[in-house]
Order: sequence, then C-alpha cells, then structure tokens
Amino acid sequence: MFEKVLIANRGEIALRVIRTCRELGLRTVAVHSEVDADALHTRLADEAICIGPADPTRSYLHIPAIIAAAEITGADAVHPGYGFLSENPEFAETCAQCGLEFIGPLPEQMRRWGDKVSARALAKSLGLPTIEGTELVEDVEDAVKKAEALGFPVLLKASGGGGGRGMHILQSKEELRAIFETARAESRAAFGNDALYFETFIERPRHIEFQILGDKHGNIQVLGERECSIQRRHQKILEEAPSVAVSDEARSDMSATIRRVMGEAGYISAGTLEFLLDDRGELTFLEMNPRIQVEHPVTELVMGVDLVAEQIRIADGQELALPERPLSPRGHAIECRINAEDPDTFAPSPGTITELHMAGGTGVRVDSGVYGGGRVPPNYDPLIAKLIVHAPTRAQAIAKMRRALSETLIGGIRTNIPLHQRILAHPAFEEGRFSTRFLDEL
Amino acid sequence: MKLDLDQLRELIRLLDESNLTEIEVEQDDDRIRVRRDPVAVASQAVAPTAVVGSTHASGAPAPEDDDGNYLTTPFVGTFYRAPSPESDAFVEVGDSITPGQVLCIVEAMKLMNEIESEVAGTIVEILVENGKPVEYGDRLFRIETT
Repeated sequence: MFEKVLIANRGEIALRVIRTCRELGLRTVAVHSEVDADALHTRLADEAICIGPADPTRSYLHIPAIIAAAEITGADAVHPGYGFLSENPEFAETCAQCGLEFIGPLPEQMRRWGDKVSARALAKSLGLPTIEGTELVEDVEDAVKKAEALGFPVLLKASGGGGGRGMHILQSKEELRAIFETARAESRAAFGNDALYFETFIERPRHIEFQILGDKHGNIQVLGERECSIQRRHQKILEEAPSVAVSDEARSDMSATIRRVMGEAGYISAGTLEFLLDDRGELTFLEMNPRIQVEHPVTELVMGVDLVAEQIRIADGQELALPERPLSPRGHAIECRINAEDPDTFAPSPGTITELHMAGGTGVRVDSGVYGGGRVPPNYDPLIAKLIVHAPTRAQAIAKMRRALSETLIGGIRTNIPLHQRILAHPAFEEGRFSTRFLDEL
Repeated sequence: MKLDLDQLRELIRLLDESNLTEIEVEQDDDRIRVRRDPVAVASQAVAPTAVVGSTHASGAPAPEDDDGNYLTTPFVGTFYRAPSPESDAFVEVGDSITPGQVLCIVEAMKLMNEIESEVAGTIVEILVENGKPVEYGDRLFRIETT
C-alpha cells in the first residue's frame, strides 16, 4: 500500500478524501492556491503546499505544479476528487510516468467514456439500453435530415458540452433552421468545439444514476441507484437514494446488466452511469462519469460503504470484497447541496462566513469545506457544504432533513438553504412525483 | 563487478546520444542499469520559463514590515543555488545583480527552471537553503534595489 496521498482538489471533497486517508493510516498532502492558504483542507492535511495563484488554470488545474508538490513531499499516490483534473487523461498519464498511483480509472477509460457520442456507441454495442441519438452533424441540411430521421422533438447538444450547457430543445425543423448557426457559434465560443449532435428529447424524465466499482481483477460491483432529478439548469441540487421510481426488480435487472457491460469494458475504480427514466419506466443510458461524484454520500449511507476507501483499495490492487447477494439499499438517504449563492437570483455569494452552525444529531452527516471566520473565495465552485441525512423511510428522511436545515446557521454570506426548504415542503416532492423539470415549475 | 567509473561514463554518454530511456548491462552476476527518467519527456509541455517574482511583480500590496524587494518563486519545486553540484553559486550575499541575471534554479518534474532577477540591485539575504523544497510564492532572496 502507498503511504502518502496528495489530494489534487479543494473544498469539501478534499476534506472527504483526507478523512478516509486518515482512517486508513495514510498520510495526506493538501495542495492549495494563494487564496486557499487558510482553507480547511489546507489546515487539516498533514502537509500543505501552495501551488499557485487563485486562478485555477495556474494552480488546481496546473499539472506540473501538482506533480512538483508530490515530488517535494514524497507523496506516492494522487486522489483527484471531482472536477478540476479528475477526468483529465493527461494528468492520470503524467502521474503514472512520475511513479505516482492515480486513484481513479485508467487514462484510456477516461478517453473512452469522456466523449459522449463514442461513450453512447460503446454502451449500445455492449447491450445497454441507450438513448437514441445521431452522429455529429455536418451542416444545417444534414442536421435537418438527421433530426427528422430521429423524430421531433429533439435535443440539440454540443459534443464538448457538459454540466447541462450547450443544449437546445427543438420542436420542428423550422426551429432547427432558425437556431442552428447560433448554436454552432455558441458551442465554438463556450467549448472551443462546434461539433453538434441530436438526442431524442424526453419530455419529463427523471435523472437516475447507478454507482459502480470495478477492481483490477475484472470484478464489478453495482451499488444501486441515486435519484438526481431535482436540478436547476441541469445542475443537481438535491439527491436521494434509493429512487421511489425504481422498483426492486428494475434495480436488480439493471444492476445485472451494468455488471456485465462494465465487466466487459474492464472498468476500474468508482464510476457512475447516468440514465433518463421516462414515464413508461424505461431507463436509457445517457453518459458515464469516470470519477467519484458530489452526491456519492447518499449511496454510502444506504449501502454501508466508504466509496473513497474502496477507490484507494482498488488502486492498491486489492480485490473487491463482493457480497454473496447483490447489496440492496437500507433505509433512505437525502443530500442537500449547500451553495454560497442567493436563493432567488442564484448569483454567487462569496465572502467571509461570520457564524457557522451545522446540524447534528442521529442520522445527520455534514461534508463541508468551510469554518466560521473562514472565507469563501469567488474563484471556485459555490458548493460549500453537503447536508446528508439517513433514516429508515423516505418520509422520515424528509422530516429529518427539514429538521437539519432548520438548525443550520450560516452567517455573512447567502446560501440556497431557503430553496431546499421550499423543495422539502412541496407536496409533489413529498409524494415523490417529480421530474427534472420540478424546479423550473416550482 | 567493481564499479568502473569510465564504463559508467561511457554508458551515460551512450544513453545521452540515443533516444533510449534505459540501458542495462549484465556480466556474470552483476548488473548496471542507467535510466533516463521518462518524466523529462512528459514535462516538455512545460516550457522552462524564467520568471521573476517580487512582491511588486505579483501585484500584491507589500506587507508593512516589508523592508525591501523580494524575489519569490513562481514554481513549486526544489531550490538550487548553482547550475550543478560542482559549480559555484549563481550569486552570493553582497553581489550586485542586473535585470535578467539568473539567481537560482527551481527544479520541478526534472526540469531546471532558471529564475532571473527583474531588477538591478544587491543581494542582501538568501532566504532558502540549497536543495530545500519551495512552495509557490516563497521568498528566495532579499534584494536592495538600486
């Protein structure tokens, strides 16, 4: 086993990784930018190295600085967290060339699953029910032809897009003709790439994703699903496990399919397969995220696993301890992402946190990257904490989350806690009747 | 086999002139392996830039107790005062320096980054010991500007 892990990230996920490393007896190295000199991850790691200025392209995204930090501290493994360099195959390759164990999938797997069109083709060829889509389109005439073949309404998507950006819902070819060149220019400006393609548009889908682990011995474990339909502009806000819309039978069937497909693909480390669930109960594969995800704690709570510890054991070459029967979820977990932002306008709200009281009590978990008196810099993601609850039933989990939100106090900055309270008070949410459109229609 | 320095030099020269990363020679039960770190190849993307940092170059306001100009490192890595272990140091305390003059090296990913002065002046203090690790923004030299 390696002995010292460098965490190439910041905020709550850096802390999350540091905590598991400490429990496993591994030493930790935090890297930080100049504005994060007093951040919690910098303070809680065994060692901390300043790697650059606030601009992430010169610090958290700057591969040579991170590798140099590993060299001068003698770290022998790197955990990338999520975001930043976590899905960058060049980073994983450079780590390997420098003798550092990259705690994540292999570079070729990141490449294979990172491109959405090729990931969909691969999933389809392996027998996964996959959302209908087209190849990349050439020009407006080709686009009209491909969209008509697929059938309106269609979703026009940017191949280089992500996080829900670069998408247009189109009802007709007239709409398509009107927007095509604009969409292409937008894509070029936003992603440096104007490749576009179509997907079938599903009116009111749920976003369901399955957590997997794969080891270096060809074993795959599927750890159930997460319900991530509560989104704002395709950014997840609140997640649950399990989903009220996935029956035990559907879970078990899809788990068996995923286990076979990802086994054939030879996937290593933690990963997530995202699906859309339509109103007929059909799950169709959307994309695969080759990393740990923000919402992983809800799976940890209902499945009784530490996914970061599993990633570390897998990187060390250990075999997954597979249970005789597939795991089934125990109880219900909900996660609220607490963002430093205005709850009405969603404008970021950086600044100094004057007071901080996070909820506690049974069944409450807080994964946070901030402290009272600490600063939320304007340079990074607004996620400052995740409030996660676990209870025997969904109704009890909702009651517990309402209670936990009511005792959470974050002063000095604005947060989206009022938005979470509105969601949890909504009858449709309580009854489990919602789609990815829920927040737009709230 | 006794370690023959001439043989070893010859191996290193061969490795240098080739595009191999490794040469291994085996004789009876003895073995010598000369290896070039593959990292050097990977790091070509990182141009060896020579950048100078001073408290002013970073644009940050100078702290109140600041009684001079400091050269700070724009790289994380290992600080070297000389181009090689046998060479003299680039500069000593009391030396006059000119803009563009190399004051030290910060090595990162096997790449020697020469750090140049941006100002003319005199070296007043050397703040880091040779061979020690430095973080981004660490002060390396105190310079009295002229």
